[in-house]
Amino acid sequence: MSDSATPTGTTMDFHPRPEGGEPTPWAFPAPERSTLPNGLTVLRCHRPGQQVVAVDVNLPAPLDAEPEGLDGVATLMARALTEGTDKHDAEEFAAELERFGATLDTHADHPGLRVSLEVPVSRLTKALGLLADALRAPAFPDSEVERLVRNRLDEIPHELASPARRAAMELSKELFPAGSRMSRPRLGTAQTVERIDGPAVRAFYERHVRPSTATAVVVGDLTGVDLDKALAGTLGAWEGSAAEPLPMPPITADDTGRVVIVDRPGAVQTQLLLGRIGADRHDRVWPAQVLGTYCLGGTLTSRLDRVLREEKGYTYGVRSFGQVLRSEPGGNGAAVLAISGSVATDVTGPALGDLWQVLRTLAAEGLTDAERDVAVQNLVGVAPLKYETAAAVADTLADQVEQHLPDDFQAQMYARLAATGTVEATAAVVSAFPVDRLVTILVGDASQIAQPVRELGIGEVTVVTGG
Amino acid sequence: MGHTATPEPATGGLTATEHRLANGLRVVLSEDHLTPVAAVCLWYDVGSRHEVKGRTGLAHLFEHLMFQGSAQVPGNGHFELVQGAGGSLNGTTSFERTNYFETMPAHELELALWLEADRMGSLLTALDEESMENQRDVVKNERRQRYDNVPYGTAFERLTAMVYPEGHPYHHTPIGSMADLDAASLEDARSFFRTYYAPNNAVLSVVGDIDPERTLAWVEKYFGSIPGHDGKQPPRDGSLPDTLGEQQRVVLEEEVPARALMAAYRLPEDGTRAGDAADLALTALGGGESSRLHNRLVRRDRSAVTAGFGLLRLAGAPSLGWLDVKFSAGFEVADIEAAVDEELARFAAEGPSPEEMERAQAQLEREWLDRLATVGGRADELCRYAVLFGDPQLALTAVGRVLDITAEEVRAVAAERLRPDNRAVLVYEPTEPAEPTESADSGDAHENAAEETGQ
Repeated sequence: MSDSATPTGTTMDFHPRPEGGEPTPWAFPAPERSTLPNGLTVLRCHRPGQQVVAVDVNLPAPLDAEPEGLDGVATLMARALTEGTDKHDAEEFAAELERFGATLDTHADHPGLRVSLEVPVSRLTKALGLLADALRAPAFPDSEVERLVRNRLDEIPHELASPARRAAMELSKELFPAGSRMSRPRLGTAQTVERIDGPAVRAFYERHVRPSTATAVVVGDLTGVDLDKALAGTLGAWEGSAAEPLPMPPITADDTGRVVIVDRPGAVQTQLLLGRIGADRHDRVWPAQVLGTYCLGGTLTSRLDRVLREEKGYTYGVRSFGQVLRSEPGGNGAAVLAISGSVATDVTGPALGDLWQVLRTLAAEGLTDAERDVAVQNLVGVAPLKYETAAAVADTLADQVEQHLPDDFQAQMYARLAATGTVEATAAVVSAFPVDRLVTILVGDASQIAQPVRELGIGEVTVVTGG
Repeated sequence: MGHTATPEPATGGLTATEHRLANGLRVVLSEDHLTPVAAVCLWYDVGSRHEVKGRTGLAHLFEHLMFQGSAQVPGNGHFELVQGAGGSLNGTTSFERTNYFETMPAHELELALWLEADRMGSLLTALDEESMENQRDVVKNERRQRYDNVPYGTAFERLTAMVYPEGHPYHHTPIGSMADLDAASLEDARSFFRTYYAPNNAVLSVVGDIDPERTLAWVEKYFGSIPGHDGKQPPRDGSLPDTLGEQQRVVLEEEVPARALMAAYRLPEDGTRAGDAADLALTALGGGESSRLHNRLVRRDRSAVTAGFGLLRLAGAPSLGWLDVKFSAGFEVADIEAAVDEELARFAAEGPSPEEMERAQAQLEREWLDRLATVGGRADELCRYAVLFGDPQLALTAVGRVLDITAEEVRAVAAERLRPDNRAVLVYEPTEPAEPTESADSGDAHENAAEETGQ
């Protein structure tokens, strides 16, 4: 590469850093709530300019409602919803969706199922018709369910091979009591999945899928759309019996400080996942916990990355976060509070040592006012960016429904964050990540990392074989 | 062909204006006052194709250094100031360009412009050995995390090396090799900046809730005094024969969870009708759950867990079509290879049905609507067309061009390019039987042609 003899740009005129202008007020959108004659709850939200409409349907079919020995039936039922209806077979259904430029995704998690449709607004009514067919009259052909079961079994080795997913699985197994659904893989194991068949899928559907307990969230540019009419002919035609909401069992976890190494001979990095459970969104401490967790590891300039990435170069990035498992007003809910990232194999010991030191320093000295201020400015300031698309708004509204939160929870959250002080944020994050109550999962080469990790004295170290 | 989601698919009334500063910086502005946000996007016309032998990965490593401070911005100040203002930001490096972007609350737009100008004009006053050593380690960990510690993680790198021969500017991917990352020196980085980072080698776009006149005045104020120069070295010639000429094949025995068949094809360059036709062909063949390969392999034969095509659009060399099939337990390479050959040959003979054309066009149109749904997405597309094709307005008419392609063009490109003698095949044979024992959380696989600074 040749050296250029031309000026390097240091001759530019410098100006002082500009001050921001007057912010334009922005609020998280307030949805309009209504109920269709069939009992389906509808939240709608007009977002000008968003040509791709997002429709999220919440179905309160929690994983702990899966019959004994059939872990994964919720996932397979969700997937089978789009494998044919009373109007189209599986191939036709997929073709019709794509003809409308639509996507229809399903996801089964601890609180229930989520069915997410996205479609250009000009084809909304047609796509709503397909969504309604899938919910109202899924065919669940035995041969398609059998295909999905086999496909699911073939996915499992790929998930086990992923360091991040393998770590998440091991953390669940360690944290939650052996009999708890949360201790077991969300999508089931090979042993449970291979038992699932058409009748099992149909039974789960019959028991848990009905309009009276479901909620549809519709977000996008609805200019000129007669949504009531579109819904009446589609989701409004879905029929089903009434049902009582299922009780939510309390969530407990064993967060005794310890280390589990999932052995991966030859791995060039170690996947870290440290976690426990803590406050969810119904807890008053939630905004302070969000704020403190951001200061600890929300971004590249947070405490963890300032040391582990930007000073030491041990990692591409380490993040701390809180992820709600289930949440309800009675206080039975919980979130997983965790720190995750990958570090080079040969620095695993030093990286964990530094990570613990960051936590100890935080507990001893607390957050600074400057850190708190920047975090609030970011968390509150990014809201209009974060919620530009219809899908982002719909997702948050659907989460609120799923967690039994008021529709204005997120809107209020910004005011609560702004009102949270440094002392509260410090207290929340220190109690969220106590150094002696963290379960540490390491997916990596045990022959290289076990000894250095034992020397750190961060808890008993056990090694399990990969897989 | 087919019906369209919007009566005027030319991106629903979006407009853009173009300007040029005296130092050569091109500026594209696009107003949208629906949400109080503004995106700033800066594309430098430099990517991994400009790298020389022994210095692969330098463009991307350099992109990281752009976040390590400049004359008036200490240390990590670029990240801190943007995030503290309620903005989000990143940078990415691909074969053909390096981009930097901030999405800001509209009232903080000026800060983003000031920050981008400061590093364009004065990076070298702050760049030091400490940043270089640190970011070298960060990037090496990025490589491990995204490629080396992931099953099949180096497949894309291997296929690229097979499709673009030794010595070709696209032979290596943007992440570069560990050895070359180790070899890069601070002087290499300085020289790279002096060569490629100049206002006349960049396009700046600003999109969103902006006042164009005031925005242009800020751009002039902050960027206007940065001297342009002609130090840029053009990339080596990327032209190649349309096809590989003969099939290449590599069989890898690795510890992967299942057998896999991957293949890469040389396809027409981006910016051509044939390029859009190729996109439609790959979509009809392997772009979704109603595509021919999905229906054949996943639904009917049940021989694959996943099967699909991806497209890497390239302007300075043939684009790359990427087939990725992960096998179901118990199936042999020959089973799937024969089925793929049969489907491709039939498609090349028959072309897509009217229904397949309609679906493929609807899917690509939807992808465009998604990309244009955010101010950041729009800013990036405007820069892309300005840098690679000289005209940002082409971004606003891209959907229309895809919808204008005929079934015969799609058939023709499949017949010419999706042939056994134009593919590089990569077969993965697991070194030990992958027996499913337990399950884990599912997630999305992703393929990356671009590297990023933050994750």
